[in-house]
Amino acid sequence: MKKIKKLGIRGGLYLIMVLYALSILVPLYVMFMTSFKSNAEIFNNPFGLPEAFSMDAYVNLFVISNYGKYFMNSIMVTVLSLGVAVTISALAAYAVSKYSFRYNKAIYLYFVIGMIVPIKLGTIDIMITMLRLRIYDSLWALIIVYIAMAIPLSVFVLYDYIRMVPDELSSAARIDGCSEPGIFSRVIVPLIKPGLAAAGIISFIPNWNEFWFPLVLIKTKENYTIPLATGQLFGQFDTKLNLVFAVLSLASVPVIIIYLLLSNYFVKGLSAGAVKG
Amino acid sequence: MKKLVLAVLLCALTAGLVFGAGSQEINAAASSDSGDKVKLVFTSWRTEDIDLMNRINAEFTKANPNIEIEFQPVKNTEYDAQLKQSLAAGVGADIMFLRSYDGGYQIYETGSLTELNGKISTLKDFPSAASAAWSTADGTSYAIPAVGVVHGVYYRKSIFAKYGLTPPETWAEFMTVCKTLKDGGETVFAQGTKDNWMLYEVVYSGLGANFYGGEEARQALMNKEIRFTDPGFVKAMEKMKELQPYFPTRYEGIDYVTMQQIFGTGNAAMFIGGSWEIGIFEEMGGLDDVGYFAPPVEKAGDTLQYCFHVDAGVGMNKNTKHPEEAMMYMKWLASPEYAQLMMDELPGFFSYTPGSYSLNNSLAKEMESYVAGSVPTVRTLWEKLSAEAPSGYDLICQAIQQMYADKMTPAEACAYVDNGLSWYYK
Amino acid sequence: MLEAKKKHARFLFLFIFPAFIIYTMFMLVPILNSMRYSLYTGTGLLPDQFVGLDNYVRLFTEERYYSQFWNAFGNNIKFFLIVTLVQNIGGFFMAVMISRKFRGNKFMRKLSFLPTTLSVLVVGYIFKMILNPYYGVFDKFLELIGLESLIIPWLGDARSAIWVVALAVSWQFLGTSILFYTSGIDGISDSIMEAARIDGANVWQEIIHIILPSVLPIVAIVTILIFIGNFTQFDIIFAMTGTRGDPNYSTDLFGSLFYRTAFSNSDRGGWGTGMGATVATMMFLIVTVGVGTFLYFFSKKREALEK
Repeated sequence: MKKIKKLGIRGGLYLIMVLYALSILVPLYVMFMTSFKSNAEIFNNPFGLPEAFSMDAYVNLFVISNYGKYFMNSIMVTVLSLGVAVTISALAAYAVSKYSFRYNKAIYLYFVIGMIVPIKLGTIDIMITMLRLRIYDSLWALIIVYIAMAIPLSVFVLYDYIRMVPDELSSAARIDGCSEPGIFSRVIVPLIKPGLAAAGIISFIPNWNEFWFPLVLIKTKENYTIPLATGQLFGQFDTKLNLVFAVLSLASVPVIIIYLLLSNYFVKGLSAGAVKG
Repeated sequence: MKKLVLAVLLCALTAGLVFGAGSQEINAAASSDSGDKVKLVFTSWRTEDIDLMNRINAEFTKANPNIEIEFQPVKNTEYDAQLKQSLAAGVGADIMFLRSYDGGYQIYETGSLTELNGKISTLKDFPSAASAAWSTADGTSYAIPAVGVVHGVYYRKSIFAKYGLTPPETWAEFMTVCKTLKDGGETVFAQGTKDNWMLYEVVYSGLGANFYGGEEARQALMNKEIRFTDPGFVKAMEKMKELQPYFPTRYEGIDYVTMQQIFGTGNAAMFIGGSWEIGIFEEMGGLDDVGYFAPPVEKAGDTLQYCFHVDAGVGMNKNTKHPEEAMMYMKWLASPEYAQLMMDELPGFFSYTPGSYSLNNSLAKEMESYVAGSVPTVRTLWEKLSAEAPSGYDLICQAIQQMYADKMTPAEACAYVDNGLSWYYK
Repeated sequence: MLEAKKKHARFLFLFIFPAFIIYTMFMLVPILNSMRYSLYTGTGLLPDQFVGLDNYVRLFTEERYYSQFWNAFGNNIKFFLIVTLVQNIGGFFMAVMISRKFRGNKFMRKLSFLPTTLSVLVVGYIFKMILNPYYGVFDKFLELIGLESLIIPWLGDARSAIWVVALAVSWQFLGTSILFYTSGIDGISDSIMEAARIDGANVWQEIIHIILPSVLPIVAIVTILIFIGNFTQFDIIFAMTGTRGDPNYSTDLFGSLFYRTAFSNSDRGGWGTGMGATVATMMFLIVTVGVGTFLYFFSKKREALEK
């Protein structure tokens, strides 16, 4: 009796898991497959595999629509902003976690509170500031905003990693005559590399997918990022569904690949934050 | 170890320099390899027209080899917000499409458009009704009237032939056609109501004008002699409501592009649309099977109130880096040469440029043929009544959508618009 | 931790300064400045005429403004409630299941987080396409299994549209809550679970007495994150129902209201930059009050539990 009940629970569990997995996989499957189908096939054969994998849609995007350029823009914005954000966050996190001075706790809190500040609400002023700095409508505007956006979470993550480095190591280096910045670069950085990676990867997703700021800050087509191109160029292809789905697939493939390769970092970085909360 | 750390720290910076220099190089290359070549950016809400506009602009570059035009449209629903932001910020395209009356005037008010009086000499020869759509009250022109469009009904010849139907002239005939088609099991209209701008711009302004009294009533409304709750406007609304039974199933979820797909692939007998859609239907399945008729009048012998809408003017950015070249291009856009090119490449776009032209597209000819015996008008609440929020534009779009969702009666829909327009009567 | 001495001051300053200045200049100052702009009016991009609290008075006394503001507020609450319920309750139970040992649980952990990595825009467009009444796969699927009577114009009906957008967002971010909750459940030591099982606790008792109390702090975090995200949500509306929150503003959220009023032409729903800043300031107040309330509520709950 108990065994049957247990078997039932098991069965129910598997059923729910399969349904949930399908609810995730089917929309993605539809997106990818549709991008290879002809328009007629989309209507006649919505679920099946495409008769012939036609790459027309992708050729179209890269050859005619300048998608390569949008990719480069997105990569440049993401890499630069994350690189700078993680670097300066590590510096700040080191200073406030390893030295006690009057405001170190306060400064740390000041940084961390940014995690719940909705920066979108400052958009009007950001727009005006970018105009004054003469970088409105350029990728630099995005880069600066994304650096600012990534700082709170990076400081938060790195603070913990740095604090876990035993103080004895820095003292030993100090006795050896190492300068304070030297301790950071020679002792701390090598030990917190996983932390640096985690901080960068956690901010990677929101950064790569960010749509609001390009929408208000970028006006010239040459400076479009992938999300902006996805949002703004939609009208252009609306009647060609395979192109529409190719646009969506292209926007998703890089993040999916990176996620599958580095998912452990995501999970560790994010759940560490959650548990401490 | 220190080297490694330095490498990590500097990685970001060097990446920045490399990328930054890279992008600057690209920019520099673009401007230097072309010598004196100047690139002008032209923006519009016509994302469908990229290939065609490139062909037209190639003609200009042929005559002016040092000027290249890049056509960069933004999709219709986002266009106005994007244009306003970029012009107000002093960046943005050199040349741009402007909506007529209130929409374009607001852009002018930001002080970012070149005033054209005296700069383009042929401008004074344009029809005054068209020029007025892009000028201030004191006669300052800020755009070349470039595109007029008409609204009417497309139909599938083969489906009509199957039932022995001919294009209707009166509303009663129109309703008979609808009923015959529906009884025959056809999808009568491709119309959906998800994108509500269609309902106002094309359905109500196009088909309703014959019932609310066309241009005369529009003027009276603007002059505050009548209100939107007056019988004419309500009647027009009621007539539009009569179309509802002939919309496809779940029409509330069908958006503009889907409508085009339904009609373009021959899956509906009729489509209430604008002349700009000729090109789309041509691309989707050819025009051999597509016919057109003007909005049916109330009773035989009535004069057609034809919505020949002032759709697009072309303005010039005051902050353009190439004012001379941009002005040269503007002059070309105001020339008969461009007018003929545009009407050839973009059938259904009618030019206001004075001159005599040939229309080589039979549908466009058909559309134009109705103009002679009609009173032209523009979209109902386009002028003055959309200058402030909530604009007549927003209100009527919502009201008609609500009417088709059975949330408002035609009279309530009109009252909703009139109530929202209270700022106009202050 | 080292006691900082005078000689450290310069390098500490240099270390903290870059992050501090960028963060301050581009996150906090813009919000304060936007609040300042809410006291101004003008036709240009930069509002230049000081009007004091006039914008606020107009926002709350003129029907054309307050009707849209309160409408967006109501929709946003509805949207938030749907998303929180799905993500908290659904996420919690999914996490309880996923954290059990079964074949494929590693795979499920990985897969559940996958939608989160996509852009909200992409998710919106995919669902819009799938729900299209003409070629959408979802309606075709319902027909296939004989449920065509259930089909409605999902995004065209004012009653269902807000549910659809909320569920699309929930679908995407369910993985985040699952991730948070599973990490909480994984943190419960095996011996406690073991002991409970020996005492004969069934699954329900286990959930209520052991798992639930230990993940409660995570509920707080998840809820607060959802709250902030939802009250500034824009992308999903842009993709699925447009910046006017069609049909009939039934999916208009604060995010789309802010975009429309601050950045659109007035014939397309714009209110001018000054009023836009006013809307942003009100949103900021609402978010702040909301977060404060949640923090208070959850810390009270925690205290009660600890007693």
